[in-house]
Amino acid sequence: MRRSILNDPDDLIPEALEGLALTHPTQLELHAEHRFLSRKQPARDKVGLVSGGGSGHEPLHAGFVGTGMLDVAVAGAVFASPTALQVLAATKAADAGRGVVQIVKNYTGDVLNFRIAGEISGDDAIDTEIVLVDDDVATDSGGDGPGRRGTAATVIVEKVCGAAAEEGASLAEVAAIGRRAAASARTMSLALAAGTHPGDDRPQFDLEDDEIELGVGIHGERAAKRAAFTDANGLTDLLLEPLLAELDLHRGDQVLAIVNGLGSTYPLELQLVARALHHRLGEAGIEIGRSLVGSYVTSLDMHGVSITLMPLDDELRRLWDAPVHTPALTW
Amino acid sequence: MTEQTPSRTLPAGFGRAFVLTLREALEGAADDLGDLDRRAGDGDFGTNVRTAMKHLDANLEADEPSSYREYLTALYMAWLGVGGTSGPLFGMFFRDLAKAGEESGAEGDAGAADAGVPTAAQFADALAAGQATVQRYGEAKVGDKTMIDSLDPAVAALRAALEADPETSAVEALFAAEDAAVAGATATAQTTARRGRASYVGDASKGVIDPGSAAMAIVISSARAGADGSGVAHFGWIA
Repeated sequence: MRRSILNDPDDLIPEALEGLALTHPTQLELHAEHRFLSRKQPARDKVGLVSGGGSGHEPLHAGFVGTGMLDVAVAGAVFASPTALQVLAATKAADAGRGVVQIVKNYTGDVLNFRIAGEISGDDAIDTEIVLVDDDVATDSGGDGPGRRGTAATVIVEKVCGAAAEEGASLAEVAAIGRRAAASARTMSLALAAGTHPGDDRPQFDLEDDEIELGVGIHGERAAKRAAFTDANGLTDLLLEPLLAELDLHRGDQVLAIVNGLGSTYPLELQLVARALHHRLGEAGIEIGRSLVGSYVTSLDMHGVSITLMPLDDELRRLWDAPVHTPALTW
Repeated sequence: MTEQTPSRTLPAGFGRAFVLTLREALEGAADDLGDLDRRAGDGDFGTNVRTAMKHLDANLEADEPSSYREYLTALYMAWLGVGGTSGPLFGMFFRDLAKAGEESGAEGDAGAADAGVPTAAQFADALAAGQATVQRYGEAKVGDKTMIDSLDPAVAALRAALEADPETSAVEALFAAEDAAVAGATATAQTTARRGRASYVGDASKGVIDPGSAAMAIVISSARAGADGSGVAHFGWIA
């Protein structure tokens, strides 16, 4: 039996957004009507950055609003896209006169509502560009269908686009760097246990003690594959194998690696995966140039982990290293 | 359409009559539309229709629309605030209908009931533009068991009626469009969904009218009812 810390379930998202705003009074401004958060001090004379999507992935996206990253993050219900009207209001709020880049995870509802909001923003002479994040190798079906899902690489795309925008890059330049990062980053995820919807008493799916779900997304949907449960080193190998098959990495290459918890994975577990990842890539002559370990793109309280790898070059490394000051990411 | 006979124009106050008739009809049909969606979809359409109409009421109260374009704008903004896929698609469809009001020129006397009311031909063009927008975003073709299945024959019937005989009035042409839309919607019961949520249930959607196509037929019926002054759209055929 799973219990939730909850008031009225209908108030979950607005109350959570209010909580985040109240606890970051100098950083965040709450726009309750359309359920988005913006920077307390709106940036001037730069390309605006808006992202968002269904809730349940916290700290994504609102946790990344601030200097060096997003201007606005808009929240739908748990695992459901914000409406086109919400995204429209959020996109307008992100505009500082130089256009807006919309960072969108590749899900049908999100893509539809962001595209529509972008088109209508044109009525107010706001130029928009969509950067689609589709990093999940488990849903790479090659060609037909909705394509790969967007998962943890969203953090990278929001970070490098944010840095480029702060440097004064143009709308086209910010979109181009985001697309380059999205095109080169890949993620693989696994779960030991599914998450539970707020207020539900059962997880979204059940697993036997000796199996794991390999290739899960971030919405509690079942994966195409099941695999035998094994130790942290073995689990890391299960994630790394399809990533190395997909990414064209060579000895001497440098990558950015994100070891991401999916909700209820605790930091010690993540460090074991990070350790194994360093050793395995080291044996292959691939250097982890930059690392991020923690729970950044979650799936409610799913017990699981994802690994994201992106080959680094000078530009991407500089943009990743640029200062950032947000509730969930600061350096 | 260089020579518009008076009967080819839509009546003064058409925007208001159309939108308020549609509001009544969709409220009345929401349960049946929701039931169709439960049998061949994900079951949220009835709720989405009610949410859209709730937003519409709020917009009408806040914006106090007076022209065709303003009434249709209140309607399209209402639908854009709705979840699912059909909500934003209906929103973009009504946005194209709203634009027809802009194309018909100046709004005339501020607050006049006939401000910016399109001609029947302009309205037909707007419906066609809305269809193109819905298909651009939804990637649905005729026969995929979506709102397009009632909209496409309605547009064709409206245009055919207007072009066939210069004596055909706007109301007569809209009756033809309504008949075609209802026939198109009821025919979706014979098809298997290929787009939208209903496509996930495959053949289980057979025998069930597509709720999106039914709602679109109610839209066309409401346009006819807004034009002929009756203010009564037909939706009893859904249940």
